[in-house]
Amino acid sequence: MIDSSTIFLVAGDTLEPVEAELRDGIEEQQLVDWQTQWQPALTEILRELARHGVPMADWPQSWHWDWRQKRAGVAGLLAFPGFSIMADDVTQGLAQVDLTRSARSAEHQGKPLAYVDYLEVAPWNRSDRGNVPRFKGVGTALLTAIAALSVDEGFKGRLGLHSLPQADDFYRRTGLIDLGPDAAYQGLRYFEMTEDRARAFLEEE
Amino acid sequence: MRFERSKEWWVKRAIAEGNATIGAGLLARDPASESEIDDQAAPREESRIAFGRFINLMRRRHGMSIEKLADAAKVDASELLVIEEDVHYVPGPRTVYQLARMFDVPQARLMQLAGLTAANDAGLVEEAVRFAARSEAVHKLSPEESAALSAFVAVLGQGEPKRSL
Repeated sequence: MIDSSTIFLVAGDTLEPVEAELRDGIEEQQLVDWQTQWQPALTEILRELARHGVPMADWPQSWHWDWRQKRAGVAGLLAFPGFSIMADDVTQGLAQVDLTRSARSAEHQGKPLAYVDYLEVAPWNRSDRGNVPRFKGVGTALLTAIAALSVDEGFKGRLGLHSLPQADDFYRRTGLIDLGPDAAYQGLRYFEMTEDRARAFLEEE
Repeated sequence: MRFERSKEWWVKRAIAEGNATIGAGLLARDPASESEIDDQAAPREESRIAFGRFINLMRRRHGMSIEKLADAAKVDASELLVIEEDVHYVPGPRTVYQLARMFDVPQARLMQLAGLTAANDAGLVEEAVRFAARSEAVHKLSPEESAALSAFVAVLGQGEPKRSL
């Protein structure tokens, strides 16, 4: 049985609160949304970049998509514990967690943590390339859910992830420890949230 | 898991996000280069070679073309082609499920072989490697290949009830 909580995002333009749903699971509907709504939206972004003559080398994050691979990867999400954010009846963000990994930071080295295998917001919620996102707060809400899961698991909020370059600053700002680029992950930077930091992050008002 | 936080709590955090686009993990980034994306331990790759080979041999034993198998198992012909030829490719769970049904082998074991679930069974990996080494993707099944295939099907079925179609 999937649990769901009412949360709030804000509209990207007016910053007005928008009610949303945090679900602790990824189900068929989310995968259908990904296929029928996220994927076309991403393709449209790529088309636009090409139309404006932006050289491929300047595309965000070397988006040389291989949809077959990505589709297979996303289809695999059904098999793992995950979270999804719904608003306006559409999937706004997805995350998947691996609870079998250990911490690398000196402070917690070797202790189990919640590793963020995958976290992505819907293409229309991205604010890179000067876009105004439809909703803000989707990524933060997913991260909140994962930190809380870590507490529930007895991991005291310890959390690890490989950041996307455009998110590096956010993770630093949020107080995660930057353990540098990881060659095993295409050079993505590895970050960890310590127990103290998680406590502050989840602190109630 | 249920959250009891006020509207203000969530709003404050959403605004604090600023202009960040939050994401994590290789899958969120870009599935681009198949060879780089594979950070799994060697046994997975070895067993995936066996997976592709296994599907190839089973298909030929049934005298089917890729197109015909795709049709019968209700999977994409293009995915089948990649499964048989690209060891880096991790097939979708549904595809593996359909193929397990099609060839009447245990789904869980085939999932391990395909690299979808961790193979905690060193014996299976070893058998898979042995099987892959004994068989070659040529047009007709040689008697040796046929024997290797039969032996491997038997190993797959060990300790698991066969699926009934």
